[in-house]
Amino acid sequence: MLDLLKIEWLKIKNYKVFIIISLFFIIGVFVTNYIVYSVFDNIINKSEVTHVLLNKFNPYDFNFVWQTVSYTSGFILILPVLLLIILVTNEFAFKTSRQNIIDGWSRLQFVNVKIMLALIVSVISTLLVIITALVFAYTTGTHFSTDGFSHVGYFFLKSFSYNLIAIFISVLLRRTGFAIGIFFIYMGTENIIAQLLDVLSIKIRLNTGVDLGSMGDYLPMNASDGLLSFPRNPLKSMTSAILPTDYTSLVICIAIFYMILFYWMCRRNILKKDL
Amino acid sequence: MEILNLDRLSKNYGKIQALNQVSFSVPKGSVFGILGPNGSGKTTLLGIIMDILKSSGGSFTLFDEVPTEKTRQRIGTLLETPNFYHYLSAVQNLKIVAAIKQKDESDIERVLEIVNLIQRKDSAFSTYSLGMKQRLAIAAALLGNPEVLVLDEPTNGLDPVGIAEIRALIMKLANEGKTIIMASHMLDEVEKVCTHVAILKYGQLITHGDVNEILVNEDVVEVSSNNLEQLKKILIQFPGNVNVYLKENTVQVNFQPGTANLEEINKYCFERSVVLSHLQLKKKSLESKFLELTN
Repeated sequence: MLDLLKIEWLKIKNYKVFIIISLFFIIGVFVTNYIVYSVFDNIINKSEVTHVLLNKFNPYDFNFVWQTVSYTSGFILILPVLLLIILVTNEFAFKTSRQNIIDGWSRLQFVNVKIMLALIVSVISTLLVIITALVFAYTTGTHFSTDGFSHVGYFFLKSFSYNLIAIFISVLLRRTGFAIGIFFIYMGTENIIAQLLDVLSIKIRLNTGVDLGSMGDYLPMNASDGLLSFPRNPLKSMTSAILPTDYTSLVICIAIFYMILFYWMCRRNILKKDL
Repeated sequence: MEILNLDRLSKNYGKIQALNQVSFSVPKGSVFGILGPNGSGKTTLLGIIMDILKSSGGSFTLFDEVPTEKTRQRIGTLLETPNFYHYLSAVQNLKIVAAIKQKDESDIERVLEIVNLIQRKDSAFSTYSLGMKQRLAIAAALLGNPEVLVLDEPTNGLDPVGIAEIRALIMKLANEGKTIIMASHMLDEVEKVCTHVAILKYGQLITHGDVNEILVNEDVVEVSSNNLEQLKKILIQFPGNVNVYLKENTVQVNFQPGTANLEEINKYCFERSVVLSHLQLKKKSLESKFLELTN
């Protein structure tokens, strides 16, 4: 697999789009968190009212920082998704997917190296979140703590889940613009359905007393999305009051199930179809 | 050893039968031409062999083995169009090919020299002309000095000098003992370089075998008299003819190359009370032979 990844690196290391999107993502993670940090530091925590109301809460203090940075950075995971869609659909546009097989890769190697690329992108994104969290947390002067570090794991799940969906859509549609468009349409549609399912969950709870959890979290993207929230999010607190059962483990299992499903569908598509 | 052995290979695109139970073998050391008009299934056939298309039926072996990615690494292939990363240079693209084929990068300069691309080796593929792209694809196929080459329309997009160079290169490689499988619809290309040929039409294998047997350039004698039916009847009895048929107020008599004797034909007819009003020797073109086979 290392040899395959080295070849993948040869393909992308001189690609300007790869360099630009990667830089935007790295800068984006810092800038997004800096904006949130600044809002709390310069506005919310400087106002006596909000500072007291929030119980002198700083989301970048240790304990909270892992959750804050994981949640905030999740908004720009769209950048690695775009990068992966471009890289995978390029292979079909340039017909290099065919040439790689002709030259001596198996179809399985071709699909596995793309999945590995998605995994590496997720690992690097997660490392970036850890570094960002450490940088911001140390500026607050609080003592190091790993409490809440599980949210970094949830961020990894979200990143890998998004990346796998991106690769599946790319392998299925094979055209860059079309794949990016469908990814956004799917993301929007799933969010709407998730909201409706969440409302339904609350109705079922109120009418029958059965707590099924937030059913929107059982959908492919929302399974990993639902694990992340901003610390002390009042909306989340309200939902938790109505749906008190903790389904975190189940949602993690569902997220992993979807990842396996997307991998299987990518693999099937490449192994069975004409390239 | 057979380099390639096809056993009833078929491919459907929905209701369209692109290949219909095609079977033939490519012997080691041969230059094997796959001929056929556009849409006859040549590229589909090679696509299946290189595992970028899935067959609907039948099977094939490469090097007498069930094919895997390892067997493909032993073959240099140019299929349909040159497929490279547009933003990378010739050298960067060939490094990827070398890595996949598990060949040494040191061979890159050699193959770029062969196809005369060494001056532009660091230019991005997107800046290349069609002919340069084709040359790069040929360079990629030659990388690692493979024992077998699969070339689909190798002279596509090349200028006359380029065509002659590639033709000479193919001859040189054939003389080195390499097996070359070449799909083409350019008959003179096949005639000049191939030792064996298979002819496809609408996915059906029309014929295959030694090129001198399949695409032999027959002598055609064109004769005419005031009674064509009688003329045809007596010429059918003429010794050595391959085929006799009527065509546009003449009778055409085909002979093996170099065996037609006009004097004998004239004498033969005269002795049977038929006076010829027209007698002409023509060489049957390869095109007409091909058309005869595919129509």
